Amino acid sequence: MISCPRCQAAQDKIRNEHQGHDAQGDLVWTIYHCNACEFTWRDSEPATSIDYDTREAFFRVDPEKPYPVIMPPAQYK
Amino acid sequence: MTENKKPLSDRAKEVGKRIGSLRDFLEFLEENGQCITWSDDVLPEPDIRNIAVAAGRDSMNGPAVIFNNMAGYPGKKLVIGVHGSFTNLALLLGHPKGTTIKELFYDIISRWGDDKPLLDFIEPDEAPVNENRITENFNLYDLLPLYRINEYDGGFYIGKANVVSRDPTDPDNFGKQNVGIYRIQVQAPGEFTLLSIPAHDMGRHIMAAEKNNVPLKISVMLGNHPAMCMFAATPVGYEESEFAYASQMMGSPLRLTKSGNGMDILADSEIVIEAELMNGVRTFEGPFGEFPGSYSGVRKIPRFKVTAISHRNDPIFENIYIGRGWTEHDTLIGLNTSAPIYAQLKKDFPEVVAVNALYQHGLTGVISVKNRFAGFAKSVAMRALGTPHGTMYLKNLIMVDDDVDPFDLNEVMWALSTRTRADDTIVIPNMPLIPIDPAAEIAGKGHRLIIDATSFMPPDKLGSDSKIVTPPAGPEIDEIAKMIQVLQNGENS
Ligand SMILES: [Zn+2]
Repeated sequence: MISCPRCQAAQDKIRNEHQGHDAQGDLVWTIYHCNACEFTWRDSEPATSIDYDTREAFFRVDPEKPYPVIMPPAQYK
Repeated sequence: MTENKKPLSDRAKEVGKRIGSLRDFLEFLEENGQCITWSDDVLPEPDIRNIAVAAGRDSMNGPAVIFNNMAGYPGKKLVIGVHGSFTNLALLLGHPKGTTIKELFYDIISRWGDDKPLLDFIEPDEAPVNENRITENFNLYDLLPLYRINEYDGGFYIGKANVVSRDPTDPDNFGKQNVGIYRIQVQAPGEFTLLSIPAHDMGRHIMAAEKNNVPLKISVMLGNHPAMCMFAATPVGYEESEFAYASQMMGSPLRLTKSGNGMDILADSEIVIEAELMNGVRTFEGPFGEFPGSYSGVRKIPRFKVTAISHRNDPIFENIYIGRGWTEHDTLIGLNTSAPIYAQLKKDFPEVVAVNALYQHGLTGVISVKNRFAGFAKSVAMRALGTPHGTMYLKNLIMVDDDVDPFDLNEVMWALSTRTRADDTIVIPNMPLIPIDPAAEIAGKGHRLIIDATSFMPPDKLGSDSKIVTPPAGPEIDEIAKMIQVLQNGENS
Protein backbone atom coordinates (compact mmCIF):
# COMPACT_ATOMS: atom_id res chain seq x y z
CA MET A 1 0.00 0.00 0.00
CA ILE A 2 1.39 3.36 -1.03
CA SER A 3 0.47 6.48 0.90
CA CYS A 4 1.60 10.09 0.54
CA PRO A 5 4.92 10.76 2.34
CA ARG A 6 3.78 14.32 3.08
CA CYS A 7 0.07 14.16 3.99
CA GLN A 8 -0.50 10.40 4.42
CA ALA A 9 -3.33 10.40 1.87
CA ALA A 10 -4.33 6.83 1.01
CA GLN A 11 -3.57 4.97 -2.20
CA ASP A 12 -6.76 6.09 -3.97
CA LYS A 13 -5.40 9.67 -3.95
CA ILE A 14 -2.03 8.69 -5.42
CA ARG A 15 -1.36 8.96 -9.14
CA ASN A 16 1.22 6.74 -10.79
CA GLU A 17 2.82 9.52 -12.78
CA HIS A 18 5.74 8.19 -14.79
CA GLN A 19 8.16 5.28 -14.91
CA GLY A 20 11.85 5.60 -15.71
CA HIS A 21 13.57 2.76 -17.56
CA ASP A 22 17.21 2.09 -18.34
CA ALA A 23 18.58 1.74 -21.88
CA GLN A 24 17.66 -1.98 -21.81
CA GLY A 25 14.06 -1.14 -20.97
CA ASP A 26 14.14 -2.35 -17.36
CA LEU A 27 12.18 -0.35 -14.77
CA VAL A 28 14.44 1.87 -12.64
CA TRP A 29 12.00 4.01 -10.65
CA THR A 30 8.44 5.29 -10.54
CA ILE A 31 7.25 8.86 -9.95
CA TYR A 32 4.06 9.32 -7.90
CA HIS A 33 1.88 12.36 -7.32
CA CYS A 34 -0.57 13.00 -4.46
CA ASN A 35 -3.88 14.48 -5.58
CA ALA A 36 -4.59 15.68 -2.04
CA CYS A 37 -1.48 17.82 -1.30
CA GLU A 38 0.17 17.83 -4.77
CA PHE A 39 3.41 16.29 -3.51
CA THR A 40 5.51 14.60 -6.21
CA TRP A 41 8.11 11.97 -5.44
CA ARG A 42 10.21 9.21 -6.93
CA ASP A 43 10.40 5.86 -5.17
CA SER A 44 14.23 5.79 -5.47
CA GLU A 45 14.71 8.91 -3.34
CA PRO A 46 16.37 8.93 0.12
CA ALA A 47 14.03 8.34 3.07
CA THR A 48 14.48 11.95 4.23
CA SER A 49 12.35 12.99 1.26
CA ILE A 50 9.86 10.14 0.84
CA ASP A 51 9.35 8.35 4.18
CA TYR A 52 6.62 9.96 6.31
CA ASP A 53 8.26 9.09 9.62
CA THR A 54 11.80 10.03 8.58
CA ARG A 55 10.77 13.38 7.10
CA GLU A 56 10.90 16.41 9.40
CA ALA A 57 7.42 16.90 10.84
CA PHE A 58 7.64 20.63 10.01
CA PHE A 59 7.17 19.82 6.34
CA ARG A 60 3.93 17.85 6.71
CA VAL A 61 0.92 19.25 4.89
CA ASP A 62 -2.71 18.95 5.92
CA PRO A 63 -4.70 19.62 2.73
CA GLU A 64 -7.82 20.37 4.81
CA LYS A 65 -6.16 23.37 6.45
CA PRO A 66 -6.26 26.81 4.84
CA TYR A 67 -3.05 27.82 3.05
CA PRO A 68 -2.22 31.27 1.63
CA VAL A 69 -3.57 31.83 -1.88
CA ILE A 70 -1.46 33.88 -4.30
CA MET A 71 -3.58 36.44 -6.18
CA PRO A 72 -6.87 34.92 -4.95
CA PRO A 73 -9.30 34.61 -7.89
CA ALA A 74 -12.12 35.60 -5.52
CA GLN A 75 -10.87 39.19 -5.74
CA TYR A 76 -12.54 39.58 -9.14
CA LYS A 77 -16.02 38.58 -7.93
CA MET B 1 24.86 55.86 -17.66
CA THR B 2 25.74 56.83 -21.21
CA GLU B 3 28.83 58.74 -20.06
CA ASN B 4 30.38 55.48 -18.83
CA LYS B 5 29.72 53.61 -22.05
CA LYS B 6 32.87 52.15 -23.55
CA PRO B 7 33.29 50.33 -26.84
CA LEU B 8 33.53 46.56 -26.43
CA SER B 9 36.98 45.01 -26.67
CA ASP B 10 37.80 42.98 -29.78
CA ARG B 11 37.79 39.83 -27.70
CA ALA B 12 34.35 40.63 -26.26
CA LYS B 13 33.02 41.21 -29.78
CA GLU B 14 34.57 37.96 -30.98
CA VAL B 15 33.04 35.99 -28.10
CA GLY B 16 29.68 37.71 -28.62
CA LYS B 17 29.73 36.72 -32.28
CA ARG B 18 30.67 33.14 -31.54
CA ILE B 19 28.07 32.45 -28.83
CA GLY B 20 24.56 32.22 -30.20
CA SER B 21 23.14 29.57 -27.90
CA LEU B 22 23.65 27.52 -24.77
CA ARG B 23 25.42 24.85 -26.84
CA ASP B 24 27.94 27.34 -28.20
CA PHE B 25 28.65 28.58 -24.70
CA LEU B 26 29.12 25.08 -23.24
CA GLU B 27 31.62 24.31 -25.98
CA PHE B 28 33.46 27.56 -25.25
CA LEU B 29 33.49 26.86 -21.51
CA GLU B 30 34.81 23.35 -22.16
CA GLU B 31 37.68 24.68 -24.28
CA ASN B 32 38.59 26.93 -21.36
CA GLY B 33 38.40 24.19 -18.74
CA GLN B 34 35.15 25.55 -17.29
CA CYS B 35 32.71 22.80 -18.25
CA ILE B 36 33.01 19.15 -17.24
CA THR B 37 30.95 16.09 -18.13
CA TRP B 38 29.87 13.76 -15.33
CA SER B 39 29.51 10.49 -17.20
CA ASP B 40 29.47 8.09 -14.23
CA ASP B 41 25.92 6.95 -13.60
CA VAL B 42 24.01 9.01 -11.06
CA LEU B 43 20.63 8.68 -9.35
CA PRO B 44 18.47 11.78 -9.89
CA GLU B 45 18.32 12.12 -6.08
CA PRO B 46 20.48 12.75 -4.16
CA ASP B 47 23.42 12.56 -6.58
CA ILE B 48 22.62 15.55 -8.81
CA ARG B 49 22.03 17.77 -5.78
CA ASN B 50 25.26 16.60 -4.14
CA ILE B 51 27.38 17.19 -7.23
CA ALA B 52 25.76 20.57 -7.93
CA VAL B 53 26.50 21.78 -4.40
CA ALA B 54 30.10 20.57 -4.55
CA ALA B 55 30.72 22.19 -7.95
CA GLY B 56 29.18 25.44 -6.72
CA ARG B 57 31.50 25.79 -3.73
CA ASP B 58 34.15 27.58 -5.78
CA SER B 59 32.32 30.77 -6.67
CA MET B 60 35.34 32.10 -8.59
CA ASN B 61 36.25 29.10 -10.74
CA GLY B 62 33.65 26.33 -10.41
CA PRO B 63 32.74 24.63 -13.71
CA ALA B 64 29.42 23.94 -15.39
CA VAL B 65 28.57 20.23 -15.07
CA ILE B 66 26.90 18.19 -17.80
CA PHE B 67 25.17 14.94 -16.74
CA ASN B 68 24.63 12.37 -19.50
CA ASN B 69 24.14 9.17 -17.52
CA MET B 70 21.20 9.60 -15.15
CA ALA B 71 19.40 6.46 -13.96
CA GLY B 72 16.00 6.19 -15.63
CA TYR B 73 16.77 8.95 -18.13
CA PRO B 74 18.80 7.15 -20.82
CA GLY B 75 20.04 9.45 -23.58
CA LYS B 76 19.01 12.61 -21.69
CA LYS B 77 21.30 15.54 -20.91
CA LEU B 78 21.22 17.96 -17.99
CA VAL B 79 23.54 20.89 -17.30
CA ILE B 80 23.88 22.85 -14.05
CA GLY B 81 26.24 25.63 -12.99
CA VAL B 82 26.44 27.40 -16.36
CA HIS B 83 26.48 30.74 -14.51
CA GLY B 84 27.95 29.14 -11.39
CA SER B 85 31.23 31.02 -11.18
CA PHE B 86 32.56 34.49 -11.91
CA THR B 87 35.07 32.98 -14.30
CA ASN B 88 32.20 31.58 -16.39
CA LEU B 89 30.67 35.06 -16.48
CA ALA B 90 34.08 36.56 -17.33
CA LEU B 91 34.45 34.21 -20.31
CA LEU B 92 30.95 35.13 -21.53
CA LEU B 93 31.86 38.81 -21.42
CA GLY B 94 35.12 38.24 -23.29
CA HIS B 95 37.55 38.37 -20.38
CA PRO B 96 40.32 35.94 -19.52
CA LYS B 97 40.28 33.61 -16.54
CA GLY B 98 41.55 35.40 -13.44
CA THR B 99 39.40 38.48 -14.03
CA THR B 100 38.32 39.98 -10.69
CA ILE B 101 34.70 40.53 -9.64
CA LYS B 102 35.38 44.26 -9.49
CA GLU B 103 36.57 44.25 -13.11
CA LEU B 104 33.39 42.42 -14.15
CA PHE B 105 31.30 44.93 -12.20
CA TYR B 106 32.84 47.86 -14.09
CA ASP B 107 32.49 46.01 -17.38
CA ILE B 108 28.74 45.56 -16.86
CA ILE B 109 28.39 49.26 -15.96
CA SER B 110 30.34 50.24 -19.07
CA ARG B 111 28.04 48.17 -21.32
CA TRP B 112 25.00 50.21 -20.35
CA GLY B 113 23.97 52.76 -22.88
CA ASP B 114 21.48 53.62 -25.53
CA ASP B 115 22.51 51.26 -28.30
CA LYS B 116 19.96 50.02 -30.78
CA PRO B 117 18.69 46.53 -29.96
CA LEU B 118 20.37 43.84 -32.06
CA LEU B 119 17.61 41.39 -32.88
CA ASP B 120 17.46 39.13 -35.95
CA PHE B 121 14.09 37.58 -36.72
CA ILE B 122 14.03 34.23 -38.50
CA GLU B 123 11.15 32.13 -39.78
CA PRO B 124 9.86 29.48 -37.35
CA ASP B 125 10.62 26.63 -39.78
CA GLU B 126 14.29 27.72 -39.90
CA ALA B 127 14.66 27.91 -36.12
CA PRO B 128 16.67 25.10 -34.48
CA VAL B 129 14.24 25.08 -31.54
CA ASN B 130 11.57 23.77 -33.92
CA GLU B 131 13.58 20.71 -35.03
CA ASN B 132 11.01 18.70 -33.07
CA ARG B 133 7.43 19.67 -32.39
CA ILE B 134 5.03 17.94 -29.98
CA THR B 135 1.34 18.89 -30.11
CA GLU B 136 -0.34 16.18 -28.04
CA ASN B 137 0.26 13.60 -25.28
CA PHE B 138 2.62 15.91 -23.39
CA ASN B 139 4.85 14.34 -20.77
CA LEU B 140 7.27 16.71 -19.06
CA TYR B 141 8.60 13.80 -16.99
CA ASP B 142 9.69 12.09 -20.18
CA LEU B 143 10.98 15.22 -21.96
CA LEU B 144 13.07 16.60 -19.07
CA PRO B 145 15.40 14.80 -16.65
CA LEU B 146 13.57 16.24 -13.64
CA TYR B 147 14.74 15.82 -10.04
CA ARG B 148 14.18 17.25 -6.57
CA ILE B 149 16.57 20.18 -6.11
CA ASN B 150 16.43 20.32 -2.28
CA GLU B 151 15.25 17.42 -0.13
CA TYR B 152 12.08 19.08 1.20
CA ASP B 153 10.98 20.74 -2.03
CA GLY B 154 7.33 19.95 -2.75
CA GLY B 155 8.16 18.43 -6.12
CA PHE B 156 10.40 18.67 -9.17
CA TYR B 157 11.29 22.21 -10.12
CA ILE B 158 12.41 23.97 -13.25
CA GLY B 159 14.55 26.70 -11.73
CA LYS B 160 16.06 28.45 -14.72
CA ALA B 161 13.26 29.06 -17.20
CA ASN B 162 12.96 32.32 -19.10
CA VAL B 163 9.22 32.80 -19.42
CA VAL B 164 7.75 35.03 -22.13
CA SER B 165 4.31 36.53 -21.67
CA ARG B 166 2.36 39.40 -23.16
CA ASP B 167 -0.26 41.64 -21.65
CA PRO B 168 -3.37 39.51 -22.38
CA THR B 169 -5.44 42.66 -22.93
CA ASP B 170 -2.93 44.02 -25.46
CA PRO B 171 -1.32 40.91 -27.00
CA ASP B 172 0.02 42.63 -30.13
CA ASN B 173 2.18 45.07 -28.18
CA PHE B 174 5.87 43.97 -28.39
CA GLY B 175 6.79 46.56 -25.74
CA LYS B 176 4.46 44.98 -23.20
CA GLN B 177 6.06 41.56 -23.73
CA ASN B 178 7.92 40.42 -20.67
CA VAL B 179 10.69 37.87 -20.19
CA GLY B 180 11.24 36.83 -16.60
CA ILE B 181 12.60 34.00 -14.50
CA TYR B 182 9.84 32.37 -12.48
CA ARG B 183 10.08 29.12 -10.59
CA ILE B 184 8.03 26.32 -12.09
CA GLN B 185 6.87 23.15 -10.33
CA VAL B 186 5.76 20.28 -12.53
CA GLN B 187 2.32 19.19 -11.27
CA ALA B 188 1.25 16.65 -13.90
CA PRO B 189 2.65 15.31 -17.19
CA GLY B 190 1.20 18.30 -19.03
CA GLU B 191 0.63 20.86 -16.26
CA PHE B 192 2.71 23.05 -13.98
CA THR B 193 2.44 25.86 -11.46
CA LEU B 194 4.37 29.10 -11.88
CA LEU B 195 5.07 31.44 -8.98
CA SER B 196 4.63 35.15 -9.49
CA ILE B 197 3.40 37.97 -7.28
CA PRO B 198 1.21 40.95 -8.24
CA ALA B 199 4.26 43.24 -8.45
CA HIS B 200 5.89 41.17 -11.22
CA ASP B 201 4.95 41.62 -14.87
CA MET B 202 3.74 38.02 -14.96
CA GLY B 203 1.57 38.65 -11.91
CA ARG B 204 -0.05 41.60 -13.67
CA HIS B 205 -0.64 39.49 -16.76
CA ILE B 206 -2.26 36.70 -14.71
CA MET B 207 -4.58 39.11 -12.91
CA ALA B 208 -5.50 40.89 -16.16
CA ALA B 209 -6.36 37.58 -17.85
CA GLU B 210 -8.52 36.35 -14.99
CA LYS B 211 -10.25 39.68 -14.44
CA ASN B 212 -11.20 40.03 -18.11
CA ASN B 213 -11.64 36.28 -18.60
CA VAL B 214 -9.27 36.19 -21.60
CA PRO B 215 -6.60 33.54 -22.26
CA LEU B 216 -3.05 34.13 -21.05
CA LYS B 217 -0.54 32.37 -23.25
CA ILE B 218 3.10 31.97 -22.28
CA SER B 219 6.24 30.42 -23.74
CA VAL B 220 8.68 28.82 -21.32
CA MET B 221 12.21 28.88 -22.78
CA LEU B 222 14.69 26.33 -21.38
CA GLY B 223 18.39 26.06 -22.18
CA ASN B 224 18.88 29.58 -23.43
CA HIS B 225 21.58 31.91 -24.63
CA PRO B 226 23.56 32.61 -21.43
CA ALA B 227 23.04 36.38 -21.71
CA MET B 228 19.28 35.89 -21.56
CA CYS B 229 19.39 34.18 -18.17
CA MET B 230 21.78 36.80 -16.88
CA PHE B 231 19.84 39.82 -18.03
CA ALA B 232 16.22 38.61 -17.86
CA ALA B 233 16.71 38.76 -14.10
CA THR B 234 17.59 42.46 -14.29
CA PRO B 235 14.67 44.75 -13.60
CA VAL B 236 13.93 46.74 -16.75
CA GLY B 237 10.89 48.98 -17.24
CA TYR B 238 7.48 47.49 -18.07
CA GLU B 239 7.73 48.80 -21.64
CA GLU B 240 11.33 47.76 -22.30
CA SER B 241 12.22 44.44 -23.88
CA GLU B 242 14.54 42.03 -22.08
CA PHE B 243 15.55 40.60 -25.49
CA ALA B 244 16.72 44.05 -26.60
CA TYR B 245 18.53 44.60 -23.32
CA ALA B 246 20.34 41.24 -23.44
CA SER B 247 21.49 41.83 -27.03
CA GLN B 248 22.71 45.33 -26.19
CA MET B 249 24.65 44.01 -23.20
CA MET B 250 26.31 41.35 -25.38
CA GLY B 251 26.88 43.75 -28.25
CA SER B 252 25.86 41.00 -30.66
CA PRO B 253 22.54 39.94 -32.20
CA LEU B 254 20.12 37.49 -30.65
CA ARG B 255 18.09 35.36 -33.05
CA LEU B 256 14.37 35.46 -32.38
CA THR B 257 11.48 33.61 -33.92
CA LYS B 258 7.75 33.25 -33.22
CA SER B 259 6.45 30.52 -30.95
CA GLY B 260 3.36 28.58 -31.97
CA ASN B 261 1.29 30.73 -29.58
CA GLY B 262 2.53 34.08 -30.82
CA MET B 263 5.35 35.00 -28.45
CA ASP B 264 8.79 36.11 -29.51
CA ILE B 265 11.21 33.40 -28.44
CA LEU B 266 14.92 32.69 -28.86
CA ALA B 267 15.34 30.69 -32.08
CA ASP B 268 18.28 28.74 -30.65
CA SER B 269 16.88 27.68 -27.26
CA GLU B 270 16.96 23.99 -26.41
CA ILE B 271 13.29 23.63 -25.47
CA VAL B 272 10.24 25.91 -25.56
CA ILE B 273 7.07 24.86 -23.73
CA GLU B 274 3.95 26.71 -24.84
CA ALA B 275 1.25 26.89 -22.19
CA GLU B 276 -1.96 28.59 -21.17
CA LEU B 277 -3.14 29.81 -17.77
CA MET B 278 -5.97 27.73 -16.25
CA ASN B 279 -8.03 30.77 -15.27
CA GLY B 280 -9.14 30.78 -11.65
CA VAL B 281 -7.33 27.57 -10.67
CA ARG B 282 -4.96 27.59 -7.67
CA THR B 283 -2.83 24.58 -6.73
CA PHE B 284 -0.61 23.67 -3.77
CA GLU B 285 2.97 24.68 -4.50
CA GLY B 286 6.16 24.49 -2.47
CA PRO B 287 8.05 24.36 -0.29
CA PHE B 288 11.05 25.38 -2.37
CA GLY B 289 14.57 26.07 -1.09
CA GLU B 290 15.01 29.75 -1.96
CA PHE B 291 17.98 32.12 -2.22
CA PRO B 292 18.21 33.21 1.42
CA GLY B 293 18.92 29.54 2.11
CA SER B 294 15.52 28.78 3.62
CA TYR B 295 12.39 27.09 2.34
CA SER B 296 9.43 29.12 1.21
CA GLY B 297 6.15 27.81 2.56
CA VAL B 298 3.28 25.95 0.91
CA ARG B 299 0.82 28.17 -0.96
CA LYS B 300 -1.88 27.85 -3.60
CA ILE B 301 -0.76 29.44 -6.82
CA PRO B 302 -1.77 29.76 -10.52
CA ARG B 303 -1.60 26.69 -12.74
CA PHE B 304 -0.87 26.34 -16.46
CA LYS B 305 -1.51 23.60 -19.01
CA VAL B 306 0.92 22.76 -21.80
CA THR B 307 -0.41 23.41 -25.33
CA ALA B 308 2.68 22.53 -27.42
CA ILE B 309 6.40 21.79 -27.07
CA SER B 310 9.27 22.57 -29.43
CA HIS B 311 12.78 21.24 -28.89
CA ARG B 312 16.10 20.80 -30.60
CA ASN B 313 17.47 17.36 -31.38
CA ASP B 314 18.95 15.83 -28.20
CA PRO B 315 17.87 18.79 -26.08
CA ILE B 316 19.92 19.83 -23.07
CA PHE B 317 17.87 20.59 -19.95
CA GLU B 318 19.49 23.48 -18.07
CA ASN B 319 18.73 23.79 -14.36
CA ILE B 320 20.20 25.54 -11.33
CA TYR B 321 21.06 24.66 -7.74
CA ILE B 322 19.58 27.20 -5.38
CA GLY B 323 19.51 27.12 -1.60
CA ARG B 324 21.91 28.14 1.13
CA GLY B 325 24.70 30.15 -0.49
CA TRP B 326 27.04 30.23 -2.21
CA THR B 327 25.00 28.93 -5.16
CA GLU B 328 24.72 29.54 -8.89
CA HIS B 329 21.77 31.84 -8.16
CA ASP B 330 24.10 34.23 -6.29
CA THR B 331 26.55 34.42 -9.20
CA LEU B 332 23.78 34.69 -11.77
CA ILE B 333 22.08 37.74 -10.28
CA GLY B 334 24.76 39.32 -8.08
CA LEU B 335 26.37 41.78 -10.47
CA ASN B 336 23.06 42.71 -12.03
CA THR B 337 21.71 43.45 -8.56
CA SER B 338 24.73 45.61 -7.72
CA ALA B 339 24.94 47.65 -10.93
CA PRO B 340 21.55 49.46 -10.78
CA ILE B 341 22.11 50.47 -7.13
CA TYR B 342 25.48 51.90 -8.14
CA ALA B 343 23.95 53.80 -11.08
CA GLN B 344 21.22 55.30 -8.93
CA LEU B 345 23.66 56.37 -6.19
CA LYS B 346 26.21 57.74 -8.64
CA LYS B 347 23.67 60.27 -9.95
CA ASP B 348 23.54 62.07 -6.61
CA PHE B 349 26.90 61.06 -5.17
CA PRO B 350 29.74 60.87 -7.71
CA GLU B 351 31.98 59.89 -4.77
CA VAL B 352 30.52 56.34 -4.86
CA VAL B 353 33.20 53.98 -6.20
CA ALA B 354 31.52 50.56 -6.31
CA VAL B 355 28.56 48.63 -4.88
CA ASN B 356 28.72 44.98 -3.85
CA ALA B 357 25.19 43.60 -3.38
CA LEU B 358 26.17 39.99 -4.14
CA TYR B 359 25.01 38.51 -0.87
CA GLN B 360 21.52 36.93 -0.84
CA HIS B 361 20.26 39.24 -3.55
CA GLY B 362 21.54 42.26 -1.61
CA LEU B 363 20.29 41.46 1.90
CA THR B 364 23.83 42.47 2.79
CA GLY B 365 25.68 45.08 0.77
CA VAL B 366 29.08 46.75 0.84
CA ILE B 367 29.48 50.22 -0.65
CA SER B 368 32.79 51.89 -1.26
CA VAL B 369 32.72 55.69 -1.24
CA LYS B 370 35.18 58.55 -1.09
CA ASN B 371 34.28 60.31 2.14
CA ARG B 372 33.81 64.04 1.57
CA PHE B 373 33.59 64.90 5.25
CA ALA B 374 32.87 63.15 8.53
CA GLY B 375 29.65 61.16 8.41
CA PHE B 376 29.25 61.51 4.64
CA ALA B 377 29.18 57.73 4.09
CA LYS B 378 26.08 57.52 6.28
CA SER B 379 24.24 59.97 4.01
CA VAL B 380 25.15 57.80 1.04
CA ALA B 381 23.91 54.73 2.96
CA MET B 382 20.56 56.43 3.60
CA ARG B 383 20.23 57.18 -0.10
CA ALA B 384 21.01 53.53 -0.92
CA LEU B 385 18.14 52.46 1.33
CA GLY B 386 15.83 54.60 -0.79
CA THR B 387 16.73 53.00 -4.12
CA PRO B 388 14.11 50.64 -5.59
CA HIS B 389 16.10 47.53 -4.69
CA GLY B 390 17.38 48.96 -1.41
CA THR B 391 13.84 49.60 -0.18
CA MET B 392 13.08 45.89 0.07
CA TYR B 393 16.50 44.24 0.30
CA LEU B 394 19.45 46.20 1.73
CA LYS B 395 19.12 44.94 5.30
CA ASN B 396 22.78 45.22 6.31
CA LEU B 397 25.05 47.84 4.78
CA ILE B 398 28.77 48.15 5.32
CA MET B 399 30.26 51.42 4.15
CA VAL B 400 33.97 51.39 3.25
CA ASP B 401 36.43 53.94 1.90
CA ASP B 402 37.49 54.25 -1.71
CA ASP B 403 40.78 52.49 -0.88
CA VAL B 404 38.85 49.29 -0.05
CA ASP B 405 37.63 46.93 -2.77
CA PRO B 406 34.10 46.09 -1.62
CA PHE B 407 34.25 42.79 -3.56
CA ASP B 408 37.37 41.67 -1.65
CA LEU B 409 36.11 40.47 1.73
CA ASN B 410 39.65 40.41 3.17
CA GLU B 411 39.80 44.14 2.58
CA VAL B 412 36.27 44.68 3.91
CA MET B 413 37.13 42.79 7.10
CA TRP B 414 40.26 44.90 7.46
CA ALA B 415 38.13 48.04 7.26
CA LEU B 416 35.72 46.60 9.85
CA SER B 417 38.62 45.76 12.14
CA THR B 418 40.34 49.12 11.95
CA ARG B 419 37.73 51.74 11.09
CA THR B 420 34.65 51.05 13.16
CA ARG B 421 33.51 52.24 16.57
CA ALA B 422 30.67 50.65 18.52
CA ASP B 423 28.75 53.92 18.64
CA ASP B 424 29.17 54.48 14.92
CA THR B 425 26.51 52.07 13.72
CA ILE B 426 22.90 52.85 12.94
CA VAL B 427 19.95 50.51 13.43
CA ILE B 428 16.61 51.47 11.95
CA PRO B 429 13.85 49.14 13.14
CA ASN B 430 10.46 48.45 11.54
CA MET B 431 11.48 48.90 7.93
CA PRO B 432 9.96 47.14 4.91
CA LEU B 433 11.75 43.96 3.86
CA ILE B 434 11.13 41.12 1.44
CA PRO B 435 8.91 38.57 3.17
CA ILE B 436 11.34 35.67 2.73
CA ASP B 437 14.00 36.93 5.18
CA PRO B 438 14.38 33.92 7.52
CA ALA B 439 15.33 36.18 10.45
CA ALA B 440 12.17 38.29 10.29
CA GLU B 441 9.91 38.30 13.34
CA ILE B 442 7.08 39.52 11.14
CA ALA B 443 7.42 38.50 7.49
CA GLY B 444 7.59 41.67 5.39
CA LYS B 445 9.20 43.80 8.10
CA GLY B 446 12.80 44.08 9.22
CA HIS B 447 15.63 46.33 10.27
CA ARG B 448 18.30 48.32 8.54
CA LEU B 449 21.83 48.10 9.96
CA ILE B 450 24.44 50.54 8.73
CA ILE B 451 28.04 49.98 9.77
CA ASP B 452 30.22 52.91 8.88
CA ALA B 453 33.64 51.38 8.30
CA THR B 454 35.06 54.43 6.57
CA SER B 455 37.98 56.27 8.15
CA PHE B 456 37.50 59.13 10.54
CA MET B 457 37.77 62.64 9.19
CA PRO B 458 37.77 66.12 10.65
CA PRO B 459 35.94 67.47 12.57
CA ASP B 460 36.18 64.05 14.23
CA LYS B 461 39.25 64.11 16.42
CA LEU B 462 41.16 61.08 15.34
CA GLY B 463 41.43 58.51 18.11
CA SER B 464 45.17 57.96 17.99
CA ASP B 465 48.22 59.03 16.09
CA SER B 466 48.31 55.76 14.16
CA LYS B 467 49.06 56.08 10.50
CA ILE B 468 47.84 53.55 7.96
CA VAL B 469 50.45 51.61 5.99
CA THR B 470 50.10 52.28 2.29
CA PRO B 471 51.12 49.06 0.57
CA PRO B 472 51.78 49.24 -3.17
CA ALA B 473 48.45 49.04 -5.01
CA GLY B 474 46.88 49.82 -8.35
CA PRO B 475 46.97 48.41 -11.89
CA GLU B 476 50.70 47.63 -11.72
CA ILE B 477 50.25 45.39 -8.67
CA ASP B 478 47.09 43.80 -10.21
CA GLU B 479 49.19 42.96 -13.27
CA ILE B 480 51.94 41.40 -11.14
CA ALA B 481 49.31 39.34 -9.27
CA LYS B 482 48.11 37.96 -12.59
CA MET B 483 51.68 37.19 -13.70
CA ILE B 484 52.17 35.24 -10.47
CA GLN B 485 49.00 33.26 -11.24
CA VAL B 486 50.31 32.42 -14.69
CA LEU B 487 53.69 31.37 -13.27
CA GLN B 488 51.88 29.18 -10.78
CA ASN B 489 49.20 27.61 -12.99
CA GLY B 490 50.36 28.09 -16.56
CA GLU B 491 48.94 30.28 -19.33
CA ASN B 492 45.45 28.85 -18.96
CA SER B 493 44.97 30.08 -15.38
ZN1 LIG C 1 -0.17 14.25 -0.09
